[in-house]
Amino acid sequence: MKPHAIVIGGGHNGLTAAAYLARAGRKVLVLERRHVLGGAAVTEEVFPGFRFSVASYVVSLLRPEIIRDLDLPRHGLEILPLDGTFTPMPNGDHLWRVNDHAMTRREIARHSKLDAEAYEEYGKAMVEMARFVKPILDMTPPDPMTLDPRELMKLVFLGKRFRGLAEADRYNQVQLMTMSAVDFLDQWFETDVLKATMAASGIIGTFLGVRSPGTAYVLLHHYMGEIDGAFRSWGFARGGTGAISNAIASAARELGVEIRTEAPVARIRLQGGRATGVVLANGDELDADLVLSSVDPNLTFLKFMDADQELPAEFVEEIRRYKYRGSSGKVNFALDALPDFTSLPGPGAHLRGAISISPSVDYMERAYDQAKYGEFSRRPYIDMVIPTLTDPSVAPPGKHILSCFVQYAPYKLKSGTWDEQRDAFGDAVVDTIAEHAPNIRDIILHRQVLTPLDIERTFGLTEGNIFQGELTLEQLFFLRPAPGWAQYATPVRGLWMCGSATHPGGGIMGAPGRNAALRILGQTR
Amino acid sequence: MRDVVIIGGGHNALVTAAFLGKAGLKPLVLERAERVGGCAGTSEVAPGFRCPTLAHSVAIDPAIVRALNLEAHGLQIIRPDSAACAPTRDGPTLVLWSDAERAAQSIAAFSARDAAQYQKFLLSFSRISGVLRALNNAPAPSIDDPTAADLIATLRTGRKFRALGRADAYRLLRWLPMAAADLASEWFESEPLRATVAAGGTLGSFLGPWSAGSAALLLLLGAGEGHPIASGWFARGGPGAVADALAAAARGAGAEIRTCAEIAHVVVTSGTASGVVLSSGEEIGARAVVSGVDPRHTLLGLVDPMHLAPEFVRSVQNIRAHGTLAKINYAVSALPRFARPAGPDAGAVAALSGRIRLSASIDAIERAFDAAKYGGLAEDPWLELTIPSIADPSLAPSGQHVVSAYLQYAPYKLRGTTWDAERDRLGDLATRTITSYAPGFDASVLARQVITPLDLERTYGLTGGHIFHGELSLDQWFVTRPLLGWARYATPIRQLYLCGSGTHPGTGLNGRSGALAARVIAKAFKR
Repeated sequence: MKPHAIVIGGGHNGLTAAAYLARAGRKVLVLERRHVLGGAAVTEEVFPGFRFSVASYVVSLLRPEIIRDLDLPRHGLEILPLDGTFTPMPNGDHLWRVNDHAMTRREIARHSKLDAEAYEEYGKAMVEMARFVKPILDMTPPDPMTLDPRELMKLVFLGKRFRGLAEADRYNQVQLMTMSAVDFLDQWFETDVLKATMAASGIIGTFLGVRSPGTAYVLLHHYMGEIDGAFRSWGFARGGTGAISNAIASAARELGVEIRTEAPVARIRLQGGRATGVVLANGDELDADLVLSSVDPNLTFLKFMDADQELPAEFVEEIRRYKYRGSSGKVNFALDALPDFTSLPGPGAHLRGAISISPSVDYMERAYDQAKYGEFSRRPYIDMVIPTLTDPSVAPPGKHILSCFVQYAPYKLKSGTWDEQRDAFGDAVVDTIAEHAPNIRDIILHRQVLTPLDIERTFGLTEGNIFQGELTLEQLFFLRPAPGWAQYATPVRGLWMCGSATHPGGGIMGAPGRNAALRILGQTR
Repeated sequence: MRDVVIIGGGHNALVTAAFLGKAGLKPLVLERAERVGGCAGTSEVAPGFRCPTLAHSVAIDPAIVRALNLEAHGLQIIRPDSAACAPTRDGPTLVLWSDAERAAQSIAAFSARDAAQYQKFLLSFSRISGVLRALNNAPAPSIDDPTAADLIATLRTGRKFRALGRADAYRLLRWLPMAAADLASEWFESEPLRATVAAGGTLGSFLGPWSAGSAALLLLLGAGEGHPIASGWFARGGPGAVADALAAAARGAGAEIRTCAEIAHVVVTSGTASGVVLSSGEEIGARAVVSGVDPRHTLLGLVDPMHLAPEFVRSVQNIRAHGTLAKINYAVSALPRFARPAGPDAGAVAALSGRIRLSASIDAIERAFDAAKYGGLAEDPWLELTIPSIADPSLAPSGQHVVSAYLQYAPYKLRGTTWDAERDRLGDLATRTITSYAPGFDASVLARQVITPLDLERTYGLTGGHIFHGELSLDQWFVTRPLLGWARYATPIRQLYLCGSGTHPGTGLNGRSGALAARVIAKAFKR
């Protein structure tokens, strides 16, 4: 029987959309190019016994509605806490923030008493802001150019919510949307390493520096992470990030979704201006009433379609203009032992959280400066986790995994190719870590280096952008991915978008997939 | 007891004085320097050579020019033939003639596609500017308590926005948070044109062309005239002539102007401003005090902070104002010899009559900004020159010229040294850079005046050396200029108002802040 909908891509968003459609009684077929599901939210045994969260490695923003609606815990999802952020400093000192307020306060006070005071205030203000933004994540963006009263009501709703904020919170909100992370944090704090580490969250996955306007907004994401109702916490999925995708896939299958792996799509088929199915790379033609694409707009519209023939020219222009600019790489290590940091030696609890190589604002900015002109940062920003301390099941006994998110690694290099520079990039990461944990060189068993080019090749993320397109203001909300096309629909009837390139964007949120499905089902405001 | 005392005699303060005078009040303007005008001044850099001291172009709103009858008060507007030109070091000079078709011919020498795009870009930019002008021509609305006038202004802007049509309306929304480099690259492919356009998004600000938000600055600065680059004109006799005309108009409307009158502080009695004390000790009582100086200096320097809530003081301290612009003024014995203009008609002298933007590429500008981020002065800065003596020969002896140069990036906060120690190096750097585009320029220099960002603060009272009285960024614009909740010229101190560039809309020498402030203050007096 012909499915009602075909979903292109078995990443977490594609699977989520499929599950929601199936929940409403629709028959759905998911097509995944690779042999594994999950897209960038995937666990793979890259070296014998070591199961890496190859790309995405922590979870924070997975919508609680999805966990609840799809009953993911029953399908095997278990989120383990990731407590704290440890920042080693070159002067032998460190900054170690944990979820325990009193401890963090004492730690920050060691650097600055004023900042310890401000930190409390800041946290409260951010939670207010996160509360303000949260409902926006779950809404279909309004179209400001329409005269449809329902759309206008959404704008009025946003305006009213804004007016409902206290004056200080309004100001914070405006500033968060427009300022640079460092400028925003400068207003609260004086400790350089604290600002650098906090600001780092503002640049992840964008080709911007911590001083670039527009980076403050992502600071909020840290306060939006909700796991089991606890605002702000971050975590690992037991079994690696792929376990999240597998749980969603299991829920989807239970709801009747058919999922095929190793089924790469070659074309989206159109008849009379309407999407009627897809053609696989092996030539198989599959029919459906609807086609949902969870892959990025470049693949959807420029690769799977004859853009100039099948799409309006203005739309194609917008899709071509949409910016990817991958700026990060991923380096995963299999380790024989734990890294030993000179600024806080030994295997303490500081290794159980995130370890951030972000010793100063200037360090972060200089890393960006190099990338602007087409080189990878010789001393990059690195966000590391050692998941084996929380979930030993992913490595052989006594061994460890060190998962490193590395920025900046610009997709477009000024000279040479990423295939030539891959090892040099991996070496730069080892060198950088060795400055803080010299034993790293002696404990590496294996290393997997993913350059932006590898991310593109492996996961189908254009230019290696982990969010399917930059999360910059001009590509957010009603402008994502193209002005006038932010409501999951496309100019082609029957063809919908449901990936991270749609509102509210990337990260393992699942919101685009859920919002798109609800939109298709006519269940959104 | 005076009606109104106005602190500072800059162009906005003079506009406020003139409009308040016309509304029947008797304002008293107190200027610290010997002359009024603030950033609109003309300096004699050498005997017989008169050069724009700070700003080299002026864009007083045409409505203000008419309302204050400035032309009758001596203002003569000069619109040069060239909007801007971009000399290159290794090829011809790109000339963006004021006449768009002629400009397209010059652009065609670099790229035929860009030549066609240029006219479309100007059209789109000019339409979008109309919406921003509508926002700039009314006080920013109150969020808590919108008045009928606010609603009407909002509706009017909304209608203009809709009238743009989908393509331009979305452009406006997309452009505001973008990088000027991206904006320029979306339209154009030739580097000289890209760099010339993108440079405008960094003027006077702590932004590089790759900084998000620099496109907003480009739009805001260009909105007044609806042109992305030529956002202004020259005044015969230099910008000082604008100040003279404004002062004459203000006096004619009944204002009194005193120079060499420095304010020590504003007198506040139980939460209400009641006058000012001069540094001479003289006290002048007034029913209202209006400050044309920047918000930070007004609220942190001239008012005792005990009259303000601590959170408010913190917000004012957080107004960002890190200047990056230095000014170098030259008297030269001959016209600089830049590369020949590209395009069929040469017009070598006229090509230099507008702005001359010296920037090798977007990346070169960005690299200069990189240095500034760490408190350094880049070896390869970008400059914008004007040679006003081409269109107005009265400014220099016959055959000789004055050259007015903006240099970026000269960060207000230098690391490891001071601007007093670096003044000569800064001047030499400017000369060397100009000479690299116009061989022999260094030998033609008869005299030069170097104004560092620190001088901008000390001598001209611009806090942080910031020419716009605070960054023009999305978080310090419209309802948030200077602060959210205080974007309507009033301050938490009753009867103390702001009227300078640090208030909505700011954006340079156009007088709009002053005019809008006068409207609000005059209304308050009627109540």
